[in-house]
Parts: sequence; structure tokens; C-alpha cells
Amino acid sequence: MDAVRWERVQSLFHAALDHPETERRAFLEAACADDPDILLEVLELLDEDARVGSVLDRGLATIAHEVLELPEPAMRMFGPYRILRLLGEGGMGVVYLAEREDLGTRVAVKMLRDAALSPARRERFAVEQRTLAQLNHPSIARLYDAGTLPDGTPYIVMEYVEGEPLNAYCARHSATLPERLRLFMAACEAVQHAHRHAIIHRDIKPSNILVTEGGSVKLLDFGVAKHLERQDASADMTRTGLRPMTPAYAAPEQITGDPIGTYTDVYALGVVLYELLTGRLPYDLSDRTPGQAEREILEREPERPSVAARRSGSDRASGSLAPVSADPRAWADLDVLCMTAMHKDPQRRYRTVDALIRDVERFLTNRPLEARPDSWRYRMGKFLRRHQRPVAAAAVVLCAMIGLVVFYTVRLAAARDAAVAEAARARRIQQFTLSLFEGGDPTVGPSDTTRVLTLLERGVQEAHVLENEPAMKAEVLETLGEIFQKLGDFARAESLLVAALDLRRERLGADHPDVVPSLIALGALRQEQARYEEAERLVREALVLGRRHYLSEHPIMIEAMVTLGSVLQARGDFDGATAVLQDAIRLESARGPATPELASALNILAITRHYAGDYEAADSLNLRLLAMSRELYGERHPNVADDLINLGASQFERGRYSEAEELFRQALDIILGFHGPDHHKTASILTILGRALVAQARYDEADDLLRRALAVRERVFGQDHPHVASTLNELAQVAGARGDTELEEAYYRRMSDIYEAAHGTRHYLVGIAKSNLATVFMKRDQYEQAEALLREVVGLFIETLSADHMNTAIARVKLGRVLARRGQWAEAEVESRAGYEIIKAQADPSSNWLRFVRGDLVEAYEALGRPEEAARFRAELVATAP
Amino acid sequence: MDKPTLDHLFSATYEELRRLAASVSHRDPNRTLNPTALVNEAYLKLADSLPSGSTSRLHFKRIAARAMRQVLVEAARRRNALKRGGDVAFVTLDDELDVAANTAQDLLDLDRALDDLAKMHPRQALMVECRFFGGLDIAETAELLEVSESTILRDWRAARAWLARQLRRAG
Repeated sequence: MDAVRWERVQSLFHAALDHPETERRAFLEAACADDPDILLEVLELLDEDARVGSVLDRGLATIAHEVLELPEPAMRMFGPYRILRLLGEGGMGVVYLAEREDLGTRVAVKMLRDAALSPARRERFAVEQRTLAQLNHPSIARLYDAGTLPDGTPYIVMEYVEGEPLNAYCARHSATLPERLRLFMAACEAVQHAHRHAIIHRDIKPSNILVTEGGSVKLLDFGVAKHLERQDASADMTRTGLRPMTPAYAAPEQITGDPIGTYTDVYALGVVLYELLTGRLPYDLSDRTPGQAEREILEREPERPSVAARRSGSDRASGSLAPVSADPRAWADLDVLCMTAMHKDPQRRYRTVDALIRDVERFLTNRPLEARPDSWRYRMGKFLRRHQRPVAAAAVVLCAMIGLVVFYTVRLAAARDAAVAEAARARRIQQFTLSLFEGGDPTVGPSDTTRVLTLLERGVQEAHVLENEPAMKAEVLETLGEIFQKLGDFARAESLLVAALDLRRERLGADHPDVVPSLIALGALRQEQARYEEAERLVREALVLGRRHYLSEHPIMIEAMVTLGSVLQARGDFDGATAVLQDAIRLESARGPATPELASALNILAITRHYAGDYEAADSLNLRLLAMSRELYGERHPNVADDLINLGASQFERGRYSEAEELFRQALDIILGFHGPDHHKTASILTILGRALVAQARYDEADDLLRRALAVRERVFGQDHPHVASTLNELAQVAGARGDTELEEAYYRRMSDIYEAAHGTRHYLVGIAKSNLATVFMKRDQYEQAEALLREVVGLFIETLSADHMNTAIARVKLGRVLARRGQWAEAEVESRAGYEIIKAQADPSSNWLRFVRGDLVEAYEALGRPEEAARFRAELVATAP
Repeated sequence: MDKPTLDHLFSATYEELRRLAASVSHRDPNRTLNPTALVNEAYLKLADSLPSGSTSRLHFKRIAARAMRQVLVEAARRRNALKRGGDVAFVTLDDELDVAANTAQDLLDLDRALDDLAKMHPRQALMVECRFFGGLDIAETAELLEVSESTILRDWRAARAWLARQLRRAG
């Protein structure tokens, strides 16, 4: 039939259908009088139209089942194995029960069907095999054997688990809440074991968790597992977009294609728990379009388990899992447990499966949970988390290198959350702040700082409407001020915090207890603005006022003391800081052995002792902190890694490089497990570790690590980001140490270019890059170029830092040596001497730079014929010889 | 689409079909049972390798529908070959197998009939492929083919009748 005729047939067909059935034939006979064939054709079609039963009317599922289902494996016998029957099948492969004839034992054999179809599938199967080979845990099915059939079908032989899926088991046994939770914990432990081997399961769901008749749990199907460290094909797969998962259990990051981590498994475990508690899934994704399904998972908050369980109780299908019964208080905890595991923001989930297990244990033994529901401050500040406070900048400015910055999350925030949550106004304020973010526009979801700033501005506007409620208005202003402070906008922060303080004083009176937190907040800001005197005055005022209203162990008083300690440390008053921090720690310890506030105070004290040169004390504090972080956050949490880095930095400082290296490696291991290889934090630790290797003259290893760090940073931040420049600085030093001045020069030049592009030519970081570049010229005896560069650098440092800055001094010392090499002794003496005076006023007497410049001065004075001065510096040299 | 992407697309489609097929025998409530959900899941797995926007989503579904048709027809061919004297030792004569053999033949006939329909009316053939193999709904099919929903409904009714007639003749 051709197209024209088909058109005619169709139009007759539709026209006939428009007639009542009894009149159709008459209509057609009249219409097709000229063409009896077409009449027949249309009548046949009408006939078919009335029938059902062709393949088109059957579901595709049934058809796929019938056509794809090969009833038998490719071979019944291979090697010592005899296939007994089909156990199950999934997308990847089909699993058979088999018997090992020589031993008489039963095993499960998984075969990759149609292996020839796709290399990607073969690779994934191989990855599964390697993964299983690595794991050895009573709750993970073991790998026995693997191979390929003669027809090319790959297979793996595993432990045979005779059991049923977790939820089916619980349904059949009408398991109680504690029974379900214990099974769940066993599954968690298996997942945790995999995580310790840097393996993420990625497809956790009840049908992959079997329970045997004896009640032991087995985690199955590592078919889509991902190895965190290895660059295997599964990583490749993730990049190109194939993200294996089961949507109902898929975490938001699996939908968006964001990095997958151990937290992805925590999410899936949360969904499994949800199902165990309520008998239903958090999201019903059947018959959803992809867009709807994505939005459900990414945006909609699931019903709380307590609510879902109530609903399940009434409309549950027979034979399915019944919701657990629990009293309202238990439900409140279960809601928090479940929703923390399933949090859409990976950072807000349990950081490790261990932490999840611990909270389940706490629940079972009636102890309070570690997890806390989201506070309004969290909701408001969740996009600011990246702004962390740099502390423990342990690297000293040697050779004017860029300081090593160790980031430390502000743990105080969590403590304040709890305090505010207790406040009576919390609910109102919550509504207020949430309305800021919702604000009528459904697409508003602050995803970047700019957007957040806009929202904050709106918040400031709206806060002014709260004239009748000064207490609440002050609190809102203060919160907004603190957020601006975290964002680094000190001017906005200042006006808001000052307004909050003024408002409280004016409406409540200068002696009111609520003035105390305002004073502390403003004091903390002043510290960040480097206005230390004012900071100290404000915080001391807060303490004086606070003593009239609060007991000394009140959280606000402890916060004031910790803030004062921090201010004093910044002022260089290490003894004063130590005293007040020790008081705060003593008081806080009475509240509990491990609180975030205590961790914060210990951390500041450790840094204080470190700066004071009291490394022993810093170490013991850091060790205590480490134990506490492990208790609070679990073994493999980034906070634990931070503590390890602080410990390592202290070892590094004392020249114990291999000890430092070991600690840095432990930190790296945690961060790799947590963030994966492609994270900026991983790059930071690689850089720190690289420095520890440089110190041990292990340049090849250092070079390798630093190049990895460089690649990550280039990927994460872009080629021209200042973070890339700091790694270039390290690489340049390695190149220099190996005598490759060409490469060293190239690195410094690129570093300088990056800083110029980012900050403009008049920035001290540009000066640091150029100062280092000058050192390369000095090494090559290219004194003319070195001199020009250093003169520029000295001017730049004086302009951007100050004439008395350590960096200025170092540049002048270098310039002095260059001038000496060129025989310009008079000028050389001026520069060296000026540098000497600055350094002597600041650094400790054993400084390498002092030794360096004293030697130069001896030489200069001898050349200039000024023997007394030469003798003076020679004597100093001898006196300070190491 | 580049080759690795196509390979992944094909793998995903194939595996989803396998899961779909398996769901019939297992009646696992966690498994989804209709082709709409199936294509959706395959889509979710592949979404970020595709340009964003609803057009690309439909484009993907169209390709997925084609891939499913290919996978199923391939399987039907193999099954037919088996029936005609492949590895006889493994063929047990139970009813289910006979049904399966018939289904395989039906699929091969449908494949051929669709090719014929494509010669008479390419849009209708594409429509059947998308709806039957890809699980696209009326609205999506209409958007993809840039016609009204009522046109899709009319076309579907005519094409369905015609294909059913072709299948009956073949069988």
C-alpha cells in the first residue's frame, strides 16, 4: 500500500468510526463504490479495532519477560560446578544456585548475560569481582572463584546465601521495632566494612540485604560499587553519566551527578530504615516522569516516618511490611534518626555509617541521640558552610612562602543552634527566616553566595518591619550580622551587629542580660577586623555584665570566655589567653566529656600553646581533641582529619617530619574516604603531605603528590585560581631542591601571573611570587635580573603590607645579598641592616633569616672596612650557633 | 551522541529491560512494572550526559525506545533460532516456552510490519515505536512529533488496527 492509499484508508476508517456501528457498513459501501478492495481493507481494520489481543495490546513487561528470559544457563556444568536452578536476576546478570561437585557445597554463580553486547558492562562485572575479592566480612557474601565460560560469558562464584530480603523477612516474622533495628545495624556494619576499604556500595536496598533463617544479615550485589581511590572503569562511567542506581533509594547527589561518597550509602540506608519503620517508601516514583521523579528526590521533603507509619497502618496491602508501633516520644527520635540519614544535603547526614549505628544504639538504650533536627540557623546558613575559619596556620614564613592554612570548621555555631532552639522566640524567628528563603518565588533556592546575599538584604529590609518586637528584631539583626561576617562582608556585619546592640540597650536597658550576647558578637567581629583592643574591651564588658546575671558555667559566659581567649591569643597575649581558656574548659567539662563547645575551646587553647612554642601542651590538647572528635563525629570524619593535621603540624614544626607525615597520611585517608580524590580538601592535604616529604628530601614522592594536588585544584577551581598558585609554589620548591631551575622559574612565573590576574599587580601575593622568582635568579648568578625584581618587590611590600613587615624584611635581606654579589657594598649594607632590624624585632633569635643576614653583614662590614661592626655580628653569629 | 554514551545508553536500556522482564516473574513490589517508569529510570541514569531541556529528554526517550525495540527483536531472533534447532538438549517442552516462542514470532512480525508502516507513514511508525517500546504518553508523543494530541489519538487507532491486521496475516 502506498502513502496516498493509506491516507484514504485512514480517512474512511475514521469516518466510519464516526457513524454508529450499525450504519458503518452502509456508509462504507456507499463511499467505496468505486473501489471494492479499499472497502475490504477498511472493514478489516474496523474488525481489528474492535478486538483486543495482538502483541500491541500486551504489556511490554510481559513481552520482555517472555522473550528475554532464557530458561537455562549457557552451560549446566563447568569446572567443578553444576548449575541447579535459577536464583534471581537483575539488570547485570543472572544468579544460579550451583553445587560444587567435588566438595558437595552449594554456591551462587553469577553470570553476565550477553557479555558481548557492551564493553561497559563487562568492565563493571570485573569491578564487582575485584570489589568482592577485597571484602571479608561475615555480613558480606564472599567471593570464591571467577572465570569465563567457553562462550565468553564471565562468571563469579560466591557464597550462597539462603535468605529473604530484609523487609520480607521482617514482614513474615512480624518483627518488633528493636528486632528490625538490630537487623538494620547488622546491614550498616557490612556497609561500614566496605567503606573502610574505600568501597561505596551505591545500590543499597532491601532486596540486596538478605536475612537468613537464623537471622544473620548478608549484604549482596556489589555490581555497581565504586572504589573511591582506584581509577577504575566505574569512575569513568560516573563521569560519562551512567549512574547506576535504583531511583527509590537514590540520593540527591546521584540524581544531580554531584560527587558520590560514603554519604551516598548513608542516604540509602536511611531509606531502608524509613521503609523498615513505616512499611513504605519515602517517595512513590512509579508512574512519575523523570522530571517529577527528580524533583521529588531533590526538593520534596518526605513525610516524616511517624506520619507515614500512621498512614501505612490504614491503607497497607496485605502481606506487606506493617509499620512499627512506638510511643510518640520514640517516634520523635526515629523521625530525627531517619531524616538525618536521609538528609538531602550530604553534609547534614550522619557523617559515617558508624555515627548512624551509634545513634541507633543510643535509641535502643534510651539515650539521647547525637543527631539534631535542622535548626532555623542551619536552614539560613546552609549555603555559607564553605566559609570556614582558618586556624592553626602552622607553617612559619620561611622563604616568604605562602602560609599553610588548615581549615577548621566553626564548631561554635552548632552550640548556638541548640541554645537558640530552646528560646521561646525560636518558632517565630524560624517562620520569619524561612519566609525569607521561600518568599513567594518557588524557584528560589539559594545556590550561590550572590543569591544568598540578595536574600540577606531582603532580610535586613524586612527586619525593620519588626518595630513592635524589638527583642526579635535584635535577634534577627544579630543573626544576619553574623552571617555577613562569615561571608567576609565586615562592613555590613558591623552595621547590623551595632544596630542589634543599640536596639537592645535602648529598649531593654544597658544592664539587661540580653545585651551580653550582642557584646560578644560585636567583639568577635572586631577581632576579625583586627581591631583587637576594641574586641577585648567589648568581650570584657560582656563578662562583667554577664556576671551580674548569669552563673559562671552558663553557656553564654563560657562563650564569652572562649571569645576572650581567642582575642587575647590574636593579640599575642598567650598567657592571658591560656588562663581564660583553661577556666572555660574546666567549666565546660562539667557539662559533659565531649561537647562541641568544649572541642572549640580546646582547639583555641591548642593553637595558643602552639604559637607560644609550648608544643608538648599543644600536642596533649590536640590528642584530647582528637579523642573527642572521634567520640563526637566518628572515626572517619573530616573534623578528626583536622585534628590529625594539627597534630602533624606541631610535629612538623619541631622537625619530626616522618611523624608529621604519618599523621598527615591518616588525615588524607579519612578525607579521601569522605570527599573522594577530586575534592579541594583532598588537594590541601596532599599539599601538606607533599611539604612533609620535601622536608625529608623525598622529592620524587613529593612531586607526585603535589602534581596530583595541582590537577585537583585546577579541576575544582580552574586554571587561574589563587589556590592553584599556592600548589605551584610548593612544586617550584621541589623543582628547586632537585636543581631544575628552569622548571622552578616556570612555576613561579605562572604563580605570579595567576596572582596578578586575580588581585592586580599591586598585591603582596604577587610580591611573594616575584620574591621567590628572584631567588631562582640568585641561584643562577643572574644578579642584575634579581636586583630589579627585588627592588620592585620591596616597594610592593612596603606599599601593601608595611615597612616593618617580615616579608619586607626578607626581600630586603635578599636584595642586600644581591647587591653584595655585585660589589655594591654600601648599598648592600643598608638593605641587609634594615632587614636585620625588622627581623630582630619580630622573630625568635634562632631564626634562619637572622643567621643568614648576620653572615651577610659580617661580610659587608669587612668589605667596607668597618671591623668593629663586623666583629659585633660575628659574635652574634657565634652566640646563636645552633 | 558519541560512542561511549551510546554504549552506556544501550547498556542502561538493556539492563532496564532485563529488570522489567524479571519483575514479571518476581512480582517484587519494589520493582516498577511499566515501560514508562522503565524509560524514566534509564533516563535518570543517563540524564547528565545529555544536554538539558525537555527536548533532549524526549530525544533521549526516542532513542531509548529504538534501543528497546532493537534489544527485544534481537532476543526474539535468538529465541527463534533456538527453537529451530539450536541447543535442543536444553529446550524443555513446557507451555510457557511455547508462549514465549509465539511472542518471539509476534515481535519479529511486528518489527517487519513497523518497517512497512514507516514506508507508508513514517510519523506513525515512529509514534508506535515511542509509545509501545518507549512508553511515552500521548502528550509526550505529541510534543515530540509536533502534532496535536488528538492527531496522535487518531493515528494510534488507525496504526494499531493496521498493525494488528498485518500480524494476523503473518501468523
